[in-house]
Amino acid sequence: MKKSRAWKVLWGGVLTAGVCVSSLIGVTQANEPRVVEFTQAEISRILSHGPWPMSWTPDVTNRVSGNTHAVDLGERLFFDEKLSVKENVSCGTCHIAEYNWTDGVKRNKGQAMVDRNTPTLMNMRHHRWFALDGAADSLWAQSMRPIVDPRELASNAAHVAQYLRRDADLSCRYEKTFGVSPAKQDDEAVLVGVGKVMAAFQETLVTEFTPFDTFRDALARGDRATAALYPREARRGLKIFIGKGNCSTCHTGPMFTNGEFHDIGVSHFIDGDSKKVDGGRHDGIKKLTASKFNLLGPYNDDATRASATKTTHVKPEHRNFGEFKVPSLRNVGYTGPYMHSGEMLSLNDVVRHYSELNVDRLHADGESLLKPLKLTAQESADLVAFLQTLNMDRAPPWRGKEYAHPPCLLGAKSAADAHYAP
Amino acid sequence: MKKIDQCFGWLLGAWVAAMPVAWAADELPIFDAHVHYSQDAWERMPPKEAIALLRKAGVKRALVSSSNDDGNQKLYAEAPDLILPSLRTYRTRADIGTWFKDEGVAAYLQERLKKYRYVAIGEFHVYGADADAPVARLAVQLAKQHKLFLHAHSDIDAVERIFKQDPDARVLWAHSGFERPEKVREMLRKHKNLWCDLAFRNDHASGGKLDADWRAAFMAFPDRFMVGTDTYTAERWHYVVEHANWSRGWMADLPRDVAERIAYRNGDAIFGNLLKP
Repeated sequence: MKKSRAWKVLWGGVLTAGVCVSSLIGVTQANEPRVVEFTQAEISRILSHGPWPMSWTPDVTNRVSGNTHAVDLGERLFFDEKLSVKENVSCGTCHIAEYNWTDGVKRNKGQAMVDRNTPTLMNMRHHRWFALDGAADSLWAQSMRPIVDPRELASNAAHVAQYLRRDADLSCRYEKTFGVSPAKQDDEAVLVGVGKVMAAFQETLVTEFTPFDTFRDALARGDRATAALYPREARRGLKIFIGKGNCSTCHTGPMFTNGEFHDIGVSHFIDGDSKKVDGGRHDGIKKLTASKFNLLGPYNDDATRASATKTTHVKPEHRNFGEFKVPSLRNVGYTGPYMHSGEMLSLNDVVRHYSELNVDRLHADGESLLKPLKLTAQESADLVAFLQTLNMDRAPPWRGKEYAHPPCLLGAKSAADAHYAP
Repeated sequence: MKKIDQCFGWLLGAWVAAMPVAWAADELPIFDAHVHYSQDAWERMPPKEAIALLRKAGVKRALVSSSNDDGNQKLYAEAPDLILPSLRTYRTRADIGTWFKDEGVAAYLQERLKKYRYVAIGEFHVYGADADAPVARLAVQLAKQHKLFLHAHSDIDAVERIFKQDPDARVLWAHSGFERPEKVREMLRKHKNLWCDLAFRNDHASGGKLDADWRAAFMAFPDRFMVGTDTYTAERWHYVVEHANWSRGWMADLPRDVAERIAYRNGDAIFGNLLKP
C-alpha cells in the first residue's frame, strides 16, 4: 500500500469516528516517517483506549469517598506502621509511590512472605473487583484485608480501633471525616472506617497522560503532525496489540483491562511447591461471598444496593481455579516484576510468554483465544516498545509519611482541610 | 369432607415421595471419570502425592489418562485398586489437534495396547468429520477389538460418526459435549451405549441446587452420568478435593439412590470389572 493510500485509510477511520479533519487535506507528507497503516477498524480500536483520564464519580458504597478529610486521614494511616500489631509494617511498606505504588520485587514480606506479587494501586478507583483474585468487591473492603492478614500487618479490629481512639489527632480527624468519634463506635465499625478513608486516599492515585494518549488524542482530533511523532516501532507494536496479538481483547478500554479474570497458562503453584497451589479467582470468589464486608453486608453505604448486584451473581466455577485479574497496562513499565507471582522480571519475558505460550496448560474449552503468537524478535521488540508508551512521562514521584500538617482541631478549618482534591 | 381429606393425604404423600430426602452427602464415595496425569503433573507431583490427593477427596476409583501414557502407568503401579487406565491418543498434548490423522499415533496406540491393559481409549478430542479420519477410525476399531470404552471429547456430529462406524461402541462423552441438557437427553435416548461425564461444567448446579432441566436428565437416565474433575494441569490436582465436595453438594439435591449412582456406582459398574482377568 502506498503512503498516500495509507493516510487515506488512517484518516478515513478518524472520519468514521466523527472527527473533522478537513484542515488536514493537502498537508505534505514528504518529510514524515513512514506510516504504519491502520484500517478503520484498527483506528476505532485505538480510539477505544481513551480518552484519558477517565471520568469518575465518588464510590456510592463509601460515604466518605471523595471527602478531603477522608483522603487526608487515609494517607496518614496508609503510611502508619502503628496499625500493625508489631508496629513494623504499613500499607506503604509494599505499595511504594516511586515504584508506581508497588514494590519492584517478586514477592514481598510483611510479617511473613506473601504468595503474590504486590499489585499497583494506580487507577484503583476505576476497578470493579479488587485484589488479584477479586476477593473484595469494593476498594474499602480490599483496604481492610492486608491490615488483618497475618502475613501483612497482622492486625485486628480491636488494635486498630484502640490506636485511633488513643491518638487524639487521628481521633479528631476520624470524627471530622465521619461525624462520630471512634470512641463511640465498636471496633469493627472503626476498622471499616479505616478501610473507607484508605480507599478515599487511594482513589486519588491516578496515572498521568502518556505518549500513547498523545497519539490517540491526535488521531481523534485529526492532528497529523502530532500523531507522526509517535515512534514507528510503537505503532508497529500497537498494530500487533490490537491485531494478531489479540491483546486488546482482554486489555480493553482506557484502562487497558476488562477488569475480569483469566487463565493465561502461568503456573500457580506457590513458590514452585507442588503441595501448595494458589486457587486464584476461585478462592477469591469464595472469600468474597463469605465476607461480612462485601457489598451485600451491612457496611455498604449505598442504600439502593444496586452496587451489590455484581456480588449477588458471582459464583465460583471450575474455570476460575487458577484465574487471576487482568492487570491494567497503564504505567506497565513501572510495575514489574509481572504476573500474579512476579515470576516474569521484564516486559520482554511477558511478551515471550505469549509468543511461546504452552497450550498444554489451557483447557481445550477454556481460553480458546490464547494461541502462541510466534512473534519474531522485531515484533516482540515492537510490542514492548508500544507497551512502554503506556507509561507516563515521568516516574511516579515520591510520597510518604514525612509530611507536615497542622494538628487537627474539631470545629476549626485548617489548611489540611482543603489540601487534597480527590 | 372425607374425600377431600383423603385426596389431601394422597397429594401430601405424593409430594413427600417426590421430595429428595435430606441425607448426608458428605460421605459419598466418588468415581472420578475425568483425570489426567500428564507429563507436567508427574514431573511436579510424584505418584504418591497424586494418589494421596485422590484418597483425601474420597475418590474410590478414577478413570485416568495421560500424555504420554507413562504417567498413567506410574499412577496405576502406585494404586491399582484406585486407578483405571485409559489410553490417551496423545504422545504429548501437542497431538491434540492432529492425532486423528497422524500415523505415528496409530503405531503408538497399537504398541501400548500390546504392552498394557486399559479400560478405555481417550480422552481424545475430535470434532465433526475428523472422527472419520483414519486414526480416529482406528481408535474405534481398537476399542472394539480390545473391548474398551471410548472417552470422547466431541461434538454431537463426531459422536454420531463413531456410532456409525461401530453401532456397538461404548462411548463416555466427555463434558457431555458441552451440550444443553435437552440435547444430552436426546443423545442418551438415541444411543443406549452412551454415557456422560460432567467434567468442567457448572451449569447443572449452582449453590448446591440443581438446574431443573439437568435434574430431569439425571432422573430420566440415572445410570448414565458420572462426575469428573479434569486435571488438565498439575495444579488442578489440588482441585480434586474441592471438586468432589462441590459434586457432593449438588448431589445432595437428588434422591440418595440417584446421587450414589452418579457419584460412584455408575462408573464402578461400567469400568470396575474391565481389568479383571
